[in-house]
Amino acid sequence: MGSATGYNRRDLFKRAAAITVLAAGGTSLLAACAGGSGSSDNKSGASPTLGGDSKNPFGVKASDALDVVIFKGGYGDDYAKVFEDAYKKAYAGANVSHLGTQEISGKLQPRFNAGSPPDVFDNSGAQAMKADVLVSADQLTDLTVLLDAPYLDDPSKKIRDVLLPGTIEQGTINGKMYSLNYVYTVFGLWYSAKLFKDKGWAVPKTWDEFITLCGTIKAAGIAPFAHQGKYPYYANYIIFSLIAKQGGQELVKKINACDASAWDDPAVLAGVTAFNKIMEGDFLLPGTNGMTHTESQTAWCQGKAAFIPSGSWLENEMLDSTPADFDMAFLPVPSLPGDKLAATALWAGAGEPFMVPSKAKNKAGGLEFLRMMLTKDGSSKFVATANSLTVLKDGVNADVQLKPGTKSSAVAVKAAGDVTFSFSFQDLQTAFDAEVENATNELVNKRISPAEWVARGKAATAKKV
Amino acid sequence: MRHRKTPFIFGFLVVPVALYILLVIWPYLQTFGYSLTDWSGASSEMNFIGLDNYTKLFQDSAFLGALQHNLLLLIVLPLATILLALFFAFMLNVGGKSGTGGVQGVRGSAFYKVVFFFPQVLSVAILSVLFQGVYRTDKGGLLNGVLIALGIVDEQHPWDFASNPTFGLWCIMGVIVWSGVGFYLVLFSAAMQSIPKDIYEAAMLDGAKRGTTFFKITLPLLWESIQTAWVYLAIAAMDAFALVSTMTPGAYYGGGPDHHSEIMATLLMRNFITFGKAGYACAMGVVIFFITLVLSVVSLRVTRREKIEF
Amino acid sequence: MSTNTDATTGIPAQRNGGNDEPRKPVKEQRFADGGGVLNVFSHGFLALWAVLIIGPLIWIILGSFKNNAEIGDSAWSWPSHWGFDAFTRAWNKGIGDFFVSTVIVLAGSLTLTMLLGSMAAYVLARYEFRGNRVIYYFFVAGAMFPVYLALVPLFFMMKNLGTVIPWLGLNQYAGLILVYTAYSLPFTVFFLHSFFRSLPSAVHEAAMIDGCSHTRAFFQVMVPMAKSGLISVFIFNVLGQWNQYLLPLTLMQQQSSSDPDRSMLAQGLMNLAQQSGYASDFPGLFAGMTIAMLPVLVVYLSFQRQVQAGLTSATLK
Repeated sequence: MGSATGYNRRDLFKRAAAITVLAAGGTSLLAACAGGSGSSDNKSGASPTLGGDSKNPFGVKASDALDVVIFKGGYGDDYAKVFEDAYKKAYAGANVSHLGTQEISGKLQPRFNAGSPPDVFDNSGAQAMKADVLVSADQLTDLTVLLDAPYLDDPSKKIRDVLLPGTIEQGTINGKMYSLNYVYTVFGLWYSAKLFKDKGWAVPKTWDEFITLCGTIKAAGIAPFAHQGKYPYYANYIIFSLIAKQGGQELVKKINACDASAWDDPAVLAGVTAFNKIMEGDFLLPGTNGMTHTESQTAWCQGKAAFIPSGSWLENEMLDSTPADFDMAFLPVPSLPGDKLAATALWAGAGEPFMVPSKAKNKAGGLEFLRMMLTKDGSSKFVATANSLTVLKDGVNADVQLKPGTKSSAVAVKAAGDVTFSFSFQDLQTAFDAEVENATNELVNKRISPAEWVARGKAATAKKV
Repeated sequence: MRHRKTPFIFGFLVVPVALYILLVIWPYLQTFGYSLTDWSGASSEMNFIGLDNYTKLFQDSAFLGALQHNLLLLIVLPLATILLALFFAFMLNVGGKSGTGGVQGVRGSAFYKVVFFFPQVLSVAILSVLFQGVYRTDKGGLLNGVLIALGIVDEQHPWDFASNPTFGLWCIMGVIVWSGVGFYLVLFSAAMQSIPKDIYEAAMLDGAKRGTTFFKITLPLLWESIQTAWVYLAIAAMDAFALVSTMTPGAYYGGGPDHHSEIMATLLMRNFITFGKAGYACAMGVVIFFITLVLSVVSLRVTRREKIEF
Repeated sequence: MSTNTDATTGIPAQRNGGNDEPRKPVKEQRFADGGGVLNVFSHGFLALWAVLIIGPLIWIILGSFKNNAEIGDSAWSWPSHWGFDAFTRAWNKGIGDFFVSTVIVLAGSLTLTMLLGSMAAYVLARYEFRGNRVIYYFFVAGAMFPVYLALVPLFFMMKNLGTVIPWLGLNQYAGLILVYTAYSLPFTVFFLHSFFRSLPSAVHEAAMIDGCSHTRAFFQVMVPMAKSGLISVFIFNVLGQWNQYLLPLTLMQQQSSSDPDRSMLAQGLMNLAQQSGYASDFPGLFAGMTIAMLPVLVVYLSFQRQVQAGLTSATLK
């Protein structure tokens, strides 16, 4: 059901990236493979099975209307209309209805409850529906059939072969893939390369360098660090990146699982203590602790602050407010001494989860729509309009001009290689996450110490679901 | 003469009562039912778990905190709004210079009455967006901008208004009072104008000061209007949801920082929508229901007075 | 009630107390003791409050002419150019439709609220029968509880109603009209009950002796007598329903992508605010608020005498 809150509170990926059942994942990967073709879940009506026709593997009928709901956030919803047109072309005469909205749960919760969900929807934003709740209520279609369907650009390949690593795992809940997370996102610090060049500041590689640079920046009369204080999870991108790099993948897994013992790991305290140096040095943009994402990001675009944490949707989101010569650049969270992960390691993941409801009237159409999104042309259109990468391997046509921020995040992704991590608790453990966000808010306001922050995080694991 | 009374009574009552039962009472009753289950809100499955939700509720510190905040709202909002409105109404009606003009309002009272009523016609959505701009935590905010320009606030340390653990809730109350005073001002003015002027003039001839006339004459004669206002404001105080959830920080529906501005409505909606604990949320609703019931009965008893005829 | 005539002397008095200095008898200074200080104080406070009200409103209007950078920069910045493109953007996002939807619903719900509310209040106030008190308290109790308590079951109720009678279901004007009416009944009955009680019974009795039916007595005798009370409760209801947010948010959601958007104004505005949050179009948001605000202010300014008179009569009884 809808809420007032959604207002102004955003995040494209927080939930999306989060469906990550994580990571380097032996079990979830196996489970996804074991899913095989076709759905065994018949409680909610027949799932489409793969037919032999590579052009129309799901048996789409042009006479069936297709009902698409798109989260109209930082990426807008125009990109989806491109796919809808492709669908209409392939299935001549098909009636496609399109709804772009921020209020995903506001618009869709009632429809799910009423048993008339759309055929495919983009479950993103502050008001995304809880994926785990949807799955446990048997509301989603197992997308394994999609994975085994032929890739449109090259029917000899299956869809599962052309996705970036991690995509299937991140769409997997309880061993089945329920969401196609379409956008590949990186999380970290952002700055204006032009500003740095003008001032002669070197981009820091270690956290110590970062803190030293903050001192220099402050002396130059600019606030070193802004963050979206009203929504503390942005600051958490930095804190938890520091923790993950210090503590390694095992620790990430334990934190995601709400394992209380994870919080006894010295890496947790080390990470948050390092972050707290921003507060100790008084490096925050005045007022940033109470600002919304729009307010703080606009201030950052205006050069009032040097760094801001965010995911890679930032560039597209701030398109109208960014000066032409801003030269936006991405910086993975700098490393601490004794880090278990490489300095280039970063928080990355597939976001913008597309789902096909199990009670959809035109399930085959919904699946086909997803298949059409996963073509090189489709992906390039998305990259060009939304300034973000997709999960399609090598999914950008050569003629697509990347914006500076997107380009620099692509460089970071390449440098990171296989060493990426992702925190799923922000979506899958919302009650725990709410407590951690509150603790972070207290920390940035200097009302608690790093040690107290750790203690509160540990206590919050009791909220595990 | 009264022989056709029964069909008439029935005819007049059947539609309103039926509509009311169907759309108001029955949903409230269902809330009671759900509160005894572990329903998630997303599916039709639920199990009967007795009073478990209630025992959990009274160990939930966030809930107990929200309860206190609601009580605070329930006391402060009506009190502040009514006092301000009374003061303004008194000024605008009998606060003017007592020259030959006798008892009258201050200069420009018609203008004030119109202007003060303005916020009442603004939708709550406008209030929320407007006051996020007003309370903005840097110099782009209206209040910080003014205070910095006046040199009261240091630009490096602007005030954090709605994000402040101590004052956040008071900032929200400020919005509600800001928007509500005008309406009650007009309501009370109306009541004051119905008080015959000669009562004041007689009192003044006896040497009463204006303050005295207010307490000895105006207040008692306005008692019934004040009671109406109190009821109306108490209802408004229970539902500060739209403002708190959009204006205060905190994960899912505001209420922050760290539950410092948490109210029942935000907690209820968070548990219902975000955490998928619809049964628990309904239990919260039931507790709110009983608290409001007790409070209304008590306040109606306490404020009951003899009606003064004039 | 007459403010223009001095009750003691009968001399026409000035509304502005300061304009008649020469005629002011010396002995009357006594009544104004401390009045000077109080006047300065009260005047100052009234003026301050007026600034507090008008300031933010003007600020919104100015904001719709600024650009994003100017809004973010300083509260004191002045728009660099005066264009109406923000208004066009806001209008294109449906502010006008939200307005029409809201007016349609309010027209229906206010009529129904007043009719049903006054009927119930009248019977409960002036007829004795078994169960009278029970029904009355039953109604009054409903005024005490916030709407969100009933939200969940209410949603399913409307959904089910919609499957039986389609035009009463979710995202239907008629459905929302009934809900608004039902949730306005408690306060309406509570308010009008005491009003009908205070009316003299002689007229009514005379009408009955003349052979008037109960129904006719109500509509032709009691309603006109209660006009002032009806007007004020009407105003209460206009304001209450105009500001509804949770109910339409829950009940007026499109049921499929092809279902028309029938958002109420508050709901639509929050939506606009949200869109601005994602696309950082603050001027558009401010323009949207201006569009939503100005007509209401104009209507209020044109009818403020009636509004105030309506509330005045409520307390005159």
